[in-house]
Amino acid sequence: MPMPKFRLAIVTTHPPGKGSLNEYAYHFVRFLRQKGEIGEIILLPDELPPGQTYRFEAHPGHAPVRVIPCWSFGAKDNAWRIRSAVRQADPDAVLFNIQFASFGGSKVPATLGLTAPYLVKRAGYPTIVLLHNIMETIDLRRAGFTGNPLVESVMRFFGAQVTRLLLAADLVAVTIPKYVEILESKYKANNVVLAPHGAFEDAPQPSFELPPGPIKILAFGKFGTYKKVETLIEAFKLLQDGSRPPLELVIAGTDSPNAPGYLEGVRRRYAAIPNIRYTGYVDEKDVPRIFSEAAVVVFPYTSTTGSSGVLHQAGDYGKAVVLPYIGDLAEVIAEEGYSGEFFEPGNPRSLAAAIAQVIDNPDRRRELGRQNWIASRGLPIAEVVDWYLLHFENLIEQRQAATAYRLPAT
Amino acid sequence: MQINLQQLETMPGTEQAVAVVGLAGRFDAHEVPHVRQALTQAADRTEGRVVVDLGGVNFIDSSGLACLVQGMKYCRERGADQILCNLQQPVRIIFELTRLDRAFKIAGCVEEATTTLAARNSQN
Repeated sequence: MPMPKFRLAIVTTHPPGKGSLNEYAYHFVRFLRQKGEIGEIILLPDELPPGQTYRFEAHPGHAPVRVIPCWSFGAKDNAWRIRSAVRQADPDAVLFNIQFASFGGSKVPATLGLTAPYLVKRAGYPTIVLLHNIMETIDLRRAGFTGNPLVESVMRFFGAQVTRLLLAADLVAVTIPKYVEILESKYKANNVVLAPHGAFEDAPQPSFELPPGPIKILAFGKFGTYKKVETLIEAFKLLQDGSRPPLELVIAGTDSPNAPGYLEGVRRRYAAIPNIRYTGYVDEKDVPRIFSEAAVVVFPYTSTTGSSGVLHQAGDYGKAVVLPYIGDLAEVIAEEGYSGEFFEPGNPRSLAAAIAQVIDNPDRRRELGRQNWIASRGLPIAEVVDWYLLHFENLIEQRQAATAYRLPAT
Repeated sequence: MQINLQQLETMPGTEQAVAVVGLAGRFDAHEVPHVRQALTQAADRTEGRVVVDLGGVNFIDSSGLACLVQGMKYCRERGADQILCNLQQPVRIIFELTRLDRAFKIAGCVEEATTTLAARNSQN
C-alpha cells in the first residue's frame, strides 16, 4: 500500500540567500516539489537581509513550500532555534543540507550550529544529514580556518566530536565513496550512505561553439577561503601576451561568508590588469548565460572541502574545465567521468599552460565539453531526490513501527 | 548488455502472471534507456509484478541504480512491486553503499522473488 504524502522540512540555505549550498538547495527543492510523495516542503533557511524574501510560486501538481527563516549565519543559538522551528512545524522528517561551515565562519557558531541535527533527532524526528564535506578531507590551513598547527589539532579534535554528533542522525548522506569509507572506518558508523551529487539541469544538449566576442575564462563560486583568484589573475596576465584573440576573465560570484571583503581587495590589487570582469552575485536566471558564454571554467582552488557543484554545472553546459591537482576534485573527475586540464595549485605558469591547452585548441575544448556534458547527464538531481525519498520512507516506516510497538494495547 | 524480458511466470497460489526480466553484463548509463523500456513493458504486461534477475550483472553505476528505482516506483504506483534477485557481490556492495538494499525487496533467486510477490499480493 503506498505511503500517504509526507511533509519534509529542509534546513538549508536557499536563493536569494547567498550562503554556500544555496544553489544545490534550489535545484533539490525544485525537483522535490514535483514528487508525488511530498505533501508539503517546510523550508528552514537562514534569515535574509531586510528587503529580501523567499518566493515560491504555486504550480499545479507541485507541493507547496512553506518558508520559516529560523537561523542566521554566525549566530550561536542556531541549533536551538532550528529545533524550535522544527517542533513548531512538526514535519514527518527533516533533511539538513549542510557542510562544516554552514552555520558560521568562526569556530564557535559553526560548531554549535552543527549540533542541530542531533537536537532535532532527539526531539523525535527522522533526520538525514546531507553532508557535503567531512573534517578529515578539509585542509584547514588552506581553507582559511587556521594557520596554527596547535589550533589545527584542537580544531580536528573538536571536528571529530562534531562529526560524531552529526552521525547521531538517522542517516548521513555523502556524495563521494571515499567519505563513506572514512566515516565508517574512523567512527565505526553504520548509518552513512552514498548519494550521488546529481546534475542540476535537465536541458537539451548544449552548443559546444562559442558566441562572438572575447574568449571568456570563467571562475564561479564564493571566493576568499580555499577558492582564491590571485593565481588565476596572474595566469590571465601571462595569457594576454598579444598572441591570442581578445580574452576576458569573468570572476562570477561573491566573497565567501568566511572572507568578507576579499574580492574588493583583489579588485584593487589587480586594477592595472585589463579585461577582468567581476559580476558580483549571479542571480539564478543569469547562470545559464554566464556558463554558456564561457570557453573554459577554471577551478582556482587551493584545497577542496567537498564535491563540486560548479563542476556539475560546467558539465551541464558542456564546458571544458581546468582543475588543480588536489584531492576531491580529482576523485570526482575519476569517479564521475569528467575530464579536464590540470594545473599545479598556486602556480600561475602551470595554470596559464592548462588554460592555453583549452582556449588555443578548439577541438580539445569541444571534446572536453562534450565529455563533461555526458558525465553530467549520468544522474539528474531529479533522480537523486528519489533516493532520498526512499530513505525517508524507510525511516518513517521504522519510526511508525517502533511507536506502534511501544504503544500499550487498548 | 543482454536483456531478457520474455519470461512470464505464474505466482505461487495465484493465477496472476509475473514478469521476470533477466539482465546480464555491464549496467551503466548507456544501457539505461533499453532497460527502462524493458522494465516498463514488463510492468505493463503484469500490472506491476516484476522480478529483475541481476545474476548476470557484473557492474552497476548510479544510473543503473536510478533506473531500477524508477522501475520500482512504476510498479508500486500500480499497487504491486519490483523485486530484485541474484545480486552478485560487486553489485550487492553498491546497493549496500547506497543503502538502496533497504529500499528494494531483494530475494536470493527467481523462485523466492515470485513467492515474495505472491505474499505481498495476498496482503493487498
